Amino acid sequence: MIDYYKVPFSKEESLESLNLFIRKWFESKYKDLTPPQRYSFRLIKEGKNMLITAPTGSGKTFSAFTGILSDLMNLSLNGSLKEKIYCIYVSPLRALNNDIYRNLTGPLEEIFKGISLPISKITVGIRTGDTPQKERHRQLTHPPNILVTTPESLAILINSPKFLENMKEVKYIVIDELHELANNKRGVHLSLSIERLAEAIGHDFIRIGMGATMSPLEEAAKFLVGYDGEDCRDCAIVDATWDKKMDFVTVCPVKDIINEKDEKIESSIYGMIDAIIKQNKTTLVFTNTRSGTERVVYNLIRRFKYAEDSIAAHHGSLSRETRLGVEELLKNGKIKCAVSSTSLELGIDIGTIDNVVQIGSPKSVARAVQRIGRSGHSFMDIARGEVIVTNRDDLVECSVMLDAAKKRHIDNFTTPKNAMDVLAQHIVGMSQTKKWGVDEAYALIRHAYPYNAFQKKDFLSLLEYLSGMYVGLESRRVYAKIWFDEKENAFGRRGKLTKLIYFLNLGTIPDEVAIDVVTKENKWIGSIQEEFLSKLKPGDIFALGGKTYSFEFSRVMKAIVSEAPGQVPTIPPWYSEQLPLTYELALEIGQFREKMAIATGHSVERNLSTLRKLNKGLLRPNKQASQILEAMPLDENAKNSIFNYFVEQILYAGYVPNDHMILVEKTVDEEGERNLIIFHSLFGRRINDALSRIVAIMIGDRYETDVAVNITDNGFVIITDTDVNISKAAISEIISGIGRENVRKLLMENIRRTEMMKRRFRYNAVRSFMILRNYMGRKISVRRQQVSSQFLLKAAEEIGSEFPVLKETYREIFEDVMDLPRSEMIISKIMSGEISYKIIETEVPSPFSHLMITFGEADVVMMKDRRAHLRQLHRQVLSKMRSRIK
Amino acid sequence: MMINKEIEIIDGLPLIYIKSMSAIACSDLHLGYEGVMADRGVFLPKANLKSIKESIKLAVDSVNPRSIIIDGDIKNEFSKVHLEEFNEFRELCVYLKEDLELENIILIKGNHDNFIERLKEPIGFKMYYQEGLISKMLFFHGEDKPMAKSGYTHMIMGHLHPSIALFNSVGIKEKLKCFLSGKTKRGKYILILPAMNYFAPGVDVNMEEDISGLAPIFRNMLDVDEMDAYCIGEGETLEFGKVGALRYQR
Repeated sequence: MIDYYKVPFSKEESLESLNLFIRKWFESKYKDLTPPQRYSFRLIKEGKNMLITAPTGSGKTFSAFTGILSDLMNLSLNGSLKEKIYCIYVSPLRALNNDIYRNLTGPLEEIFKGISLPISKITVGIRTGDTPQKERHRQLTHPPNILVTTPESLAILINSPKFLENMKEVKYIVIDELHELANNKRGVHLSLSIERLAEAIGHDFIRIGMGATMSPLEEAAKFLVGYDGEDCRDCAIVDATWDKKMDFVTVCPVKDIINEKDEKIESSIYGMIDAIIKQNKTTLVFTNTRSGTERVVYNLIRRFKYAEDSIAAHHGSLSRETRLGVEELLKNGKIKCAVSSTSLELGIDIGTIDNVVQIGSPKSVARAVQRIGRSGHSFMDIARGEVIVTNRDDLVECSVMLDAAKKRHIDNFTTPKNAMDVLAQHIVGMSQTKKWGVDEAYALIRHAYPYNAFQKKDFLSLLEYLSGMYVGLESRRVYAKIWFDEKENAFGRRGKLTKLIYFLNLGTIPDEVAIDVVTKENKWIGSIQEEFLSKLKPGDIFALGGKTYSFEFSRVMKAIVSEAPGQVPTIPPWYSEQLPLTYELALEIGQFREKMAIATGHSVERNLSTLRKLNKGLLRPNKQASQILEAMPLDENAKNSIFNYFVEQILYAGYVPNDHMILVEKTVDEEGERNLIIFHSLFGRRINDALSRIVAIMIGDRYETDVAVNITDNGFVIITDTDVNISKAAISEIISGIGRENVRKLLMENIRRTEMMKRRFRYNAVRSFMILRNYMGRKISVRRQQVSSQFLLKAAEEIGSEFPVLKETYREIFEDVMDLPRSEMIISKIMSGEISYKIIETEVPSPFSHLMITFGEADVVMMKDRRAHLRQLHRQVLSKMRSRIK
Repeated sequence: MMINKEIEIIDGLPLIYIKSMSAIACSDLHLGYEGVMADRGVFLPKANLKSIKESIKLAVDSVNPRSIIIDGDIKNEFSKVHLEEFNEFRELCVYLKEDLELENIILIKGNHDNFIERLKEPIGFKMYYQEGLISKMLFFHGEDKPMAKSGYTHMIMGHLHPSIALFNSVGIKEKLKCFLSGKTKRGKYILILPAMNYFAPGVDVNMEEDISGLAPIFRNMLDVDEMDAYCIGEGETLEFGKVGALRYQR
């Protein structure tokens, strides 16, 4: 049963559940209990599994640890505290682990200082990839009572028979920053480690999850506690997210964000950040990408002559020392401003932040709330934040996002289910520890929430894959990573190397090679993936960090570019730096668009004076629009710019797309070289990922041509050669034709023709131990893996569609990358007319589509008939060559 | 597709047919590739030998030759004979002799083909070290410049794994294996064969600024931009003209 606890226990009820020494210490340190603590002390005493969501700084850590320390203290007092691990704390971040370690060792010293009894002290140890060999050895012989670790280190520890002995007494598992784990494969990996641990030590333990707010909370709770057989284990949910007050506003950097030049917008953004930094003691700035972080720091220093040591960047690509240094400076209040992509979003102790600035949309309400929640001295203070928008779509998006945050509308997350790559790693791990009956192992993995509905046949096909059955008998010696006997229905260890393969290759973070992008003068601009570089030809224009560049040539690990301001990209990125907009937020934006369009429509007059004002961004919201905008957390520039943006779209296109009306715009690109069909389907990228490819497949088949797509949160663009002329009537036929298709089947059969498939397959091959990153002590770089993705995929397909690596690639694409169930729902709504569409033809793309063309994630759907595809390519290349000669 | 009076590219395949010799020729098989890669931690499904057999069978069915010439890099590993290479090489030879009934197997030993002599007796093939002059045609692998200065009208080379990168109007990049056909600076005809290997991605000769590091013949004897590219399409061969014209310049 999953139970919500909505009424806190009284202070006395809470405190009396603590051991006396712990209580004395707690009361000497804190005047009062924070809201989550008013639930947790008691619930831990009662031995309940518990999920606590609360903002950072709410004493979340001590909500969990006070109860646990109290329990351990009781053991110590009655002399039964052994040199064993009783509590395992797991967080996704090493930096956070270091904090927790310090935050526990300090109080423990204080607690034991006042006790003169001859009792054993409670000990804490930390175990991450950074832990020195000596310390590791010490932990083996003298294990700490509380072990602080990461998901990856835990996965290694449970495979060590000796260390497992130390974990026999584990009573508590604490998972911190659960929201950063429950929605990805890293968390899925952890969920299996935890169930394997419970099996290995022969008993269950209390599971405590902590994190920022999530929705739905029940799903997060299930992820935390898992299943016992068919039933989900019990869990108590405490949601203290909203107990901290927040004050935030969407800020538009210029009066007229539609017509203003990029340089002006940029300098105004930096001016605003500068003013905020100067007004506050400490400011935390969030960008959405690592390269964005570097750019902000660079610009602040250059433009406003900040001392280099008063502003610092903090992100995952920086060295550990650099990050620790920045955290230290923040804690000591020695720095004015830190700029971070995501790394400081989590609960690392960074002291007091007065103000948070977010640049550009963080793409989810939950993330916005969490980031802004980083500010404020304590739980009682108000968190303050500004979201500074960078362009007009960003403006609308952030405005609706903060409005949703005000209304406490949190977007949903999902946990990847039945991921075969992650399970493959664990099966290899399990096979090392003992000989397993297939049924016994299958029952065990189903305890983990992401695998509760995992099919037995898929489990068997994984065993076949891992035992090397996909190659001939004579090669199996090299290929097999486990021993598997079908007759005996059992599997186990095989080969001496496998143990090392597991240790050195486990984990779920894909290995990507980042290529630096620099100008000829060697000015660093950002980085792109090697894969994207391989798609570039000289002269291609691409966008990076909100600006456009022309690719010149590449040198070792570097792409040399020249600035190409204002040019339309010829090749959009093949991946997105940003997370997708959540569906819930997309719908809210759609609803807002409809309201705004109706309100704006009241007063738009098509005359010269309107146009003149519009071109200068001088229109002011009419009465109806003002009413809507006044209720939202926006500054004046934001209100005016939104109004102007809507007027412009209405005047130009006549229609504003919304959550139940898709605008389809047939147009050509600026050079007139390609036909564009723009679908204004604001449902978020995960849905547009699916919709765009379905439409592209249908167009490609109907016109026998290659089709490119450009996918964004706000919609997608279908790009074809100018020879392919698709009439409005044909577009309408294609859309209504989707209803006759089995969408899943259509995608399944055709996703193979996209680039995404090749790329994802390689990632999955790595995670499934088909391509090792580290083998026999040799580190193999992505670059050196030397096999073309295309042929790798082709060879795998010859084995059959049930080949686990292939199957997982399809699953990941349809369920994690795309949101196929919701895409199908949208399609059926289009068919039933619940979502309407309007097809228009424009001479140049309408205002709402400009950013969709420039900034999107690109893919192509190649013709079904490869021969025809190559012939078309041949024709195109020859005709281009001929025209060049002329 | 006849590319000159003597040599025909067998449509859609990485093989040529020389009628006057009743021979087909190909290069860079890299047998045992998957086994070697597995030793490096990349566990590829087996696909190379099968695809090589299929290609050769299609060629044999189409032109019915008496001989096959393999222009080097029959196997993959530089320094040692890998068990898989040994097995696959033997399997291929048996297939060529018994199933496809080819009378002669002629091998040009390339930089990866050490120790292959060991199999010469039991299997029965003819072998040349680095280069072989076979009725007025000089077959050489290509990691070095050819040594023979005269006595031939045609030069046939492997080693480079040439391919062409092409971009279509909607931004798709295709990489196609190709033959390169042209004349050296002294006016001698030369043909470079594509790799037969299934997994080898190939070197995009129209994107690389300088390939002389890969094949020394380009150092001063041959200009890649002046060579004609014949790409292997789907069941057909596509002629793309001069490599120089396929370069993408801004």
